[in-house]
Amino acid sequence: MVTNADFLALEGNPGNFTAKLNIRPRYIDADACTACGLCTQYCPKHHSDPYNEGLSITRPIHIDYAQAVPATYYIDPSTCMYIQHDTCQICVPVCQSHAINFNQKPELRDLKVGAVILSPGFGKIAPEVLEKFSYGKHPDVVTAYEYERMTTSSGPFLGEIKCFSDGRHPKSMAFIQCVGSRDLGCDNGYCSSVCCMYAIKEALVTKEHDPEVDITIYYMDIRTQGRDFDAARERAEAIGIKFVRAKVADVTPWENHLKLTYSTLDGQHKFDSHDMVVLSVGLESPKDAKGISNTTGIELNNYDFCKTETFTPLQTSEKGIVVAGAFQGPKDIPESATQASGAAALASIILKTQRGKGTESKEYPDELSITDDDEVRIGVFVCHCGINISSVVDCPDVAEDSGKMKNVTYFTEQLYSCSQDSQEQIKQTIKDQKLNRVVIAACSPRTHEPLFQETLKDAGLNRNLFEMVNIRDHCSWVHANEPEAATDKSKDLVRMAVSKAAHIQPLPEQTVPVTPKALVLGGGVAGMTVALTLAEQGFESVLVEKSSTIGGNLKKLKNTLAGDTVASYLKTLTAKVNKSAKIDVVTDAALAQTAGFIGNFNSIIESGKGQEKKEQTFDHGVIVVATGGHEHRPDLYELGKSKKVVTQQELETNLAGRAKGRAPNSIVMIQCAGSRGEDLNYCSKVCCNHAIKNILKIKEINPDSQIIVLYRDMRTYGFAEDSYLEARKKGVIFIPYEVDRRPVVTSQGTNVQVDFFDSIMQEEVSMTPDLVTLSVGIVPDGTAELSKMLKLPTTANGFFLEAHVKLRPVEAAVGGVYICGLAHAPKPVEETIAQAQAAAAKAAIPLVKGVVTVDPIVSSVEQDNCIGCGICTSLCPYGAIIMEKVDKKRKARTISASCKACGICASRCPTFAISMGGFTNEQLISQIEAFGNKVVYEKVEA
Amino acid sequence: MSDNSFSPKILGFLCNWCCYAAADAAGVSRFQYPPNLRTVRVMCTGRVDPSFVLKGFLEGADAIFTGG
Amino acid sequence: MGNDIKQREGAVMILGGGITGIQAALDMTDLGYYVYLVEKAPAVGGVMAQLDKTFPTNDCSI
Repeated sequence: MVTNADFLALEGNPGNFTAKLNIRPRYIDADACTACGLCTQYCPKHHSDPYNEGLSITRPIHIDYAQAVPATYYIDPSTCMYIQHDTCQICVPVCQSHAINFNQKPELRDLKVGAVILSPGFGKIAPEVLEKFSYGKHPDVVTAYEYERMTTSSGPFLGEIKCFSDGRHPKSMAFIQCVGSRDLGCDNGYCSSVCCMYAIKEALVTKEHDPEVDITIYYMDIRTQGRDFDAARERAEAIGIKFVRAKVADVTPWENHLKLTYSTLDGQHKFDSHDMVVLSVGLESPKDAKGISNTTGIELNNYDFCKTETFTPLQTSEKGIVVAGAFQGPKDIPESATQASGAAALASIILKTQRGKGTESKEYPDELSITDDDEVRIGVFVCHCGINISSVVDCPDVAEDSGKMKNVTYFTEQLYSCSQDSQEQIKQTIKDQKLNRVVIAACSPRTHEPLFQETLKDAGLNRNLFEMVNIRDHCSWVHANEPEAATDKSKDLVRMAVSKAAHIQPLPEQTVPVTPKALVLGGGVAGMTVALTLAEQGFESVLVEKSSTIGGNLKKLKNTLAGDTVASYLKTLTAKVNKSAKIDVVTDAALAQTAGFIGNFNSIIESGKGQEKKEQTFDHGVIVVATGGHEHRPDLYELGKSKKVVTQQELETNLAGRAKGRAPNSIVMIQCAGSRGEDLNYCSKVCCNHAIKNILKIKEINPDSQIIVLYRDMRTYGFAEDSYLEARKKGVIFIPYEVDRRPVVTSQGTNVQVDFFDSIMQEEVSMTPDLVTLSVGIVPDGTAELSKMLKLPTTANGFFLEAHVKLRPVEAAVGGVYICGLAHAPKPVEETIAQAQAAAAKAAIPLVKGVVTVDPIVSSVEQDNCIGCGICTSLCPYGAIIMEKVDKKRKARTISASCKACGICASRCPTFAISMGGFTNEQLISQIEAFGNKVVYEKVEA
Repeated sequence: MSDNSFSPKILGFLCNWCCYAAADAAGVSRFQYPPNLRTVRVMCTGRVDPSFVLKGFLEGADAIFTGG
Repeated sequence: MGNDIKQREGAVMILGGGITGIQAALDMTDLGYYVYLVEKAPAVGGVMAQLDKTFPTNDCSI
């Protein structure tokens, strides 16, 4: 990790770049700094805190936030008195660990790298653009970033929302959307794709703070096109947040309020006053975009974002350099995380031959063997956590109390047990005191157990000879006003842990080898991309396609919104897949059965028809689900009844034909036909773009064609907004409709009639166009059966659910299973490709590692005691216990890699034949005994 | 509060994934609650053998709490 | 140019240590490559570290 660094230049070729960096001095020695914060307390100079958007004051010597990585303070040279004026230096003697070093100089460093991933993020809209909304002139006009910090409970106002002008709590607030986006005035024609979501989020958070506050969101289109995002908007409306479709012209101070002037669709100018105005500012290209372009040679698009193509969304114009995140185009966190993984896959392909050469595996000393005859020597370490624990709990008392216990041969206190020097101290103590069990009383094992276990390994102890007691989250923090009771509780918990620790046995580390092959379900663009991306990284896959040829939905598409021809891309892609020696394509095929677990799946694929029907069995390590989706056909708007009513996909096919009337003279398009509350209750994300794409094609063929689009929100997010604008410029009329006033289509003979309410002219309109085109949405392909077979959860709408929307966007909750494409959610082709590349990166990880490590806390069966009753097998929720024949007797056996360590089997086994690593009966019983062996509880005045 | 007010001794079995995590979260948000609980962490409340509960009562618990 | 750092084969430079850069770094490490995560600010985290809650579930961001 290289922080505080400027990227100066890039030389060389893909596989062999030299990157030149300038590392600016922090003026603090990172190894010595303990992040105690004393320096900030003593620093006399004020410094506007950029982390809090300048809403608070910090000092030149500071850390942005407590969880910052690296957790080292730094000195901002722009305001430091010593650096600017050669005075002061108060911080130097204050620092107990002598970490401050004003002699640090900028360091130039060369990095030899094979590939580059660009993820510089986004920039902020210039303040001048915000001036018309009185930003900078009136203190109660804030940006959404500032507002985010204002609402944060850990922020400068502890989450109390107040007007800056006079400190009153705002009773009426306005959010103004599209500030600095969809705005040609500041040359940002694109849509920033995230502001609708964060505005709704901030509005909801505000309502949580104060349900009485009146909130209005002024918008042009609400673009909550992500999966399940519309639900949040509906929730916002349900709790009284108002959505007003209007363009805000300006904001002017008016007494102690702010006056908004806005125009609604029907051309009226209106005014409204609010106490506070939040500007939903867009995402701009990063400030150093031009610089990066100059140093690396990558091309930018007309908005200075990184230029990429629809079918290679993460590839820059330069070989060896890939891009991910908001620099590729404004996007939200899940999209960014997905692209990050996708970019990793591409970089991995570039560096394939050098894989594993630059990394070092850590060596541990041989593990000390421990037998039952050895004396149990427990060391207890009580952490003060600075003052987090010690200000409430009497740590010396807790430590001393533990010292009275049997088997405890050593006890001590530490300021921060997790700090580097404390870790060394623990290691040394283990050796000096010949400890063979360690108890640490500090914070949560959920966050810190791995760290301390690593320390044990370094000291030559098995990592399971460890027990952690949470005297912070469960004691000092929650009983802050009852220090004696908190101390008593800490003593009890430590005693219980010590008594458990005495019974802990070392557990062997278990690893399971991985079959280096993937099973990819679905031969559309997603599945093909996954298989190819894996093949290019060196891994084999079986590609299972249910129809007779691969290609999926791409076979039905003609061109993309950006103008690329689909057919030629598809041809190249399928040719690559078919030619690849690492991809085994099985068509007319479906997954019939699958068993196993991450690293070791075994699946049966049924393929062929009639006589040629056959079954093949494959062993593989991972599964990628890319089963896709298809256009929904609602039984609405005379679809299927009148020849003059078609879907967007049918229109696209017609437009590519040669027939004369393929681009009729008058067309009405109905968006969200069957979606967002009709038979599908979600937004399909692609239909608005699909409509615009077809419109531009029609206008190309027949410029005089009259096109009316009836829509709810035009969701041409990102750079597609340009095409929307182009369509408007070409005279296409866009009329929004309300959900309770959907257009009505009737047919009589060959004629088709559309009745709708024109919200612009405010009148009922009846038309008989040549053609009605419906934007019908997307449904997933047969996810129900697969969901049962692979135990994969789906959303209410049948799309597969990822393990975590932001942290694990392409992984399924089941280990070794990955999801991408339309099976995950409706999305355009470039997003599908990026997601497929991401899935290929994630799926490659276990294949690269070659082994899956199993946490040794899993269950194990003592087969001598097993009577073969099978209760455990029937109860195990993960299918991790099987019955097998041993010497003609039924015996249970755990499949460690599938076991999640829940312990149901152990608690139900009638002969106590099943034991849980780290949670044996013996350990837990002795922990319970320790709970009772002293009347410790003394009444405390509440 | 008078001296003879009842202060129960409670033994709790907390699931690592939910209830133990919730207890951590209570700490992070400084949520104050009575200090009568002593906890045993398990990887899942499925691990809680009925005999553990009986053992807890035998050892003098006034109440047993399982959270999972 | 002064440079005593050991040069490594199979290394990638990731420019920008926000959520995207961090995720890419984690994946590249897992895939068996050495990563230089280059960030202009004194700490990684980017804009996401400034966010309080996230849409649509209002989960904590840090």
